[in-house]
Amino acid sequence: MRIIGDIIEYTAKNMPKFNSISISGYHMQEAGANQALELAFTLADGKEYVKTAIAKGMDVDDFAGRLSFFWAIGMNFYLEVAKMRAARLLWCRIMKGFDAKNPKSLMLRTHCQTSGWSLTEQDPYNNVVRTTVEAMAAVFGGTQSLHTNSFDEAIALPTEFSARIARNTQLIIQEETHITNVVDPWAGSYMMESLTNEMAEKAWAIIQEVEAMGGMTKAVDSGWAKLKIEAAAAEKQARIDSGKDVIVGINKYKLKTEDAIETREIDNVSVRDGQIARLKEIKSKRDTSGVTAALAAITTAAKENSGNLLDLSIKAIRLRATVGEVSDALEAAYGRHRADPQKVQGVYAAAYGQNADGTTSNEGETMEYWNALKADIAKFADKQGRRPRVMISKLGQDGHDRGAKVVATAFADLGFDVDMGPLFQTPEECARQAIENDVHAVGVSTLAAGHKTLVPAIIAELKKQGANDIIVFVGGVIPRQDYDMLYEAGVKGIYGPGTPIPVSARDVLAQIEKAQG
Amino acid sequence: MQSAGLLDGVVQRADALTQRRAVAKAITLLESTRADHRAQADELLTKLLPHTGKSLRLGISGVPGVGKSTFIEALGLYLIEQGHRVAVLTIDPSSTVSGGSILGDKTRMEKLSVDQRAYIRPSPSSGTLGGVAEKTREAMLVCEAAGFDVVIVETVGVGQSETAVAGMTDMFVLLQLPNAGDDLQAIKKGVMELADIVLINKSDIDPLASERARLQITAAMQLLGMFAEQSDKNWHPKALLLSALNAQGIDTFWQAVNEFKTLQNANGKFATKRQQQALAWMWERIDAGLKQQFKSNLQVQAQMPQMVSDVSEGRVAASTAARILLNLLEGKYI
Repeated sequence: MRIIGDIIEYTAKNMPKFNSISISGYHMQEAGANQALELAFTLADGKEYVKTAIAKGMDVDDFAGRLSFFWAIGMNFYLEVAKMRAARLLWCRIMKGFDAKNPKSLMLRTHCQTSGWSLTEQDPYNNVVRTTVEAMAAVFGGTQSLHTNSFDEAIALPTEFSARIARNTQLIIQEETHITNVVDPWAGSYMMESLTNEMAEKAWAIIQEVEAMGGMTKAVDSGWAKLKIEAAAAEKQARIDSGKDVIVGINKYKLKTEDAIETREIDNVSVRDGQIARLKEIKSKRDTSGVTAALAAITTAAKENSGNLLDLSIKAIRLRATVGEVSDALEAAYGRHRADPQKVQGVYAAAYGQNADGTTSNEGETMEYWNALKADIAKFADKQGRRPRVMISKLGQDGHDRGAKVVATAFADLGFDVDMGPLFQTPEECARQAIENDVHAVGVSTLAAGHKTLVPAIIAELKKQGANDIIVFVGGVIPRQDYDMLYEAGVKGIYGPGTPIPVSARDVLAQIEKAQG
Repeated sequence: MQSAGLLDGVVQRADALTQRRAVAKAITLLESTRADHRAQADELLTKLLPHTGKSLRLGISGVPGVGKSTFIEALGLYLIEQGHRVAVLTIDPSSTVSGGSILGDKTRMEKLSVDQRAYIRPSPSSGTLGGVAEKTREAMLVCEAAGFDVVIVETVGVGQSETAVAGMTDMFVLLQLPNAGDDLQAIKKGVMELADIVLINKSDIDPLASERARLQITAAMQLLGMFAEQSDKNWHPKALLLSALNAQGIDTFWQAVNEFKTLQNANGKFATKRQQQALAWMWERIDAGLKQQFKSNLQVQAQMPQMVSDVSEGRVAASTAARILLNLLEGKYI
């Protein structure tokens, strides 16, 4: 919160037209929060920031007008519009509580991004339509700025073509359709007004709950907020895997064969080498002693609670200190945040059980499938003397762990023993943990195009450390054309977006049995 | 899994990677529920035994969120700096519904878990607390045979598991939060009585409250009669302040541990306790074995449903039913 206070203070003084801070709910919805949770937690965050700035001695009207928000817009069309309308209502209420006088302080300005999570790997051109519908919800909800995702983002990083379509989606809404000519076009609709009201009430109740805990910092620190989101994520996944929530091309109207699409290739090695070369060049040209002194000043200010950290960071960066170095300077004073792995258990199984109502015949979506798999896992435990044990791992600089968490929860609910690896693990550390815990399999969750180097690296590390019997499977965003390369490297299973978890679990179990002989 | 190969892998010191893998495989073998694995495990244990006994066994417990993992990480790193090799065995509760579990302890011991001088192994409780104790006890021996001279057993403080862990370690440490005045009632009296040291963690947040809690806990321990033998030849349980997050109080704690060791060695209790624990372990296994034999007896299995309904509906007295069933085990029919 110290950093937040410093940012607001510095920008209010020196950069009056800058949006000081983007108070984000995007990552919450992407991590699994429903609209009410996203709305409530984000506004509660905003409230906490305002409190911090006021505690620093600032007048609320000096900074509140420059705060801005950031929503995720998913496929629940009406709810997303209602969420954005309710947000403005509640923010005004919150700011009046701080005695704001300037009308600008009471207004909620927001950026929106269409949901990346809602995009599918299967039949990917459908994603153009999804993004369009989401973009419309954002516009109807009155967004001030908008980011539309590219249709291939569930597969790879966007190509120029897919990025152009994404941009044009916005341009067409803005310039061809006349939709933007009307302010709040849903106002007065009974359905929308009552939905907005309902959303506002739900979110307000959660905000009150957060307040009772002592504010959002406490709610985050205690792990409560994260737990709420993870439980919602597991529930949502179970509704999809059991066929209750429809996703076209995933659990209904599936294609027999998928056409390959052209994706952007990233050469991890050359990107990394290029970055390192640039860093070396910058470091050789700059005033080293000046940089060292500027970084030391940051650490001191952080330790002694003096000065303004943004001010000092800007000074250091003007001398060509790197972002990594500035963050290291802060780490020297504050230490590093450690995500506390909360364990959500039972949620997936419960939601799956409620929703597998026999309306679907898709593989992996029925209760029979689930129960048969559980029975087979129990059989495995009898035969092998222990339950199948898998480690779910995130490798490299990719912190998107919603998938990993949901898979871990679901696997445990099926009867696996699941080891969670920490974020940002190196292949060497991952192999060591897998060996030390003596797991049957390592599942690597990858969403940031690192699979081509990291997955072969973990297989090599396992071999090097003497574990030929531990198999490796991969889940996440992996382009089809990379499958062969991964299988050749020794991967035993690849589960792209949209694979029902029970189906992947069934395959993992079969592969483990094969490896155990 | 060949127990001979595992034995060599565990006791050798030349190849760290091979040893790590052998220790892991040996623990898996011990944890296995298969009868043939059990036989191999017993063989392995017997052979490992001469190599064991040289470590300090430390049990650590406390309610969820008290900071056990943070403490173990700080303590482990401290001990490694002093030239020790540290093994950590943690017990994660399995779901009683699915039988599966999520084991996440290593993510909370990031630095210790990557250090070559440490070994951390989380184990699922598999639903039976007694079972855990048995397996963890044996896993501890494997770690000792591999040359780890401090073995830490961590358990979530929710009840019975403390007694089990205190019954297999030389020293039992309980972690507490500073707001102990209210919390004290939450800990079962029995658990407090097991503690050789109580650590008041997170004492950096409110030093005054922490000191108050320390005094309260010391007084409570006196009330519980834990200082019964007033003599300087005996160990008197201590309450100490700790901030695991800032690694403060670790050295004071370790000093107390060493005092404990010296004292218990001098008065002979260190060895006596281990003997008693070994004997208690034998009896525990006899109990468990008999129960297992009883339950797998075909005659018993055939009669059980009838007896259960007879007893619950009051047709046969509980003690009579027990006697009839036990007689079946010996081949007698009433």
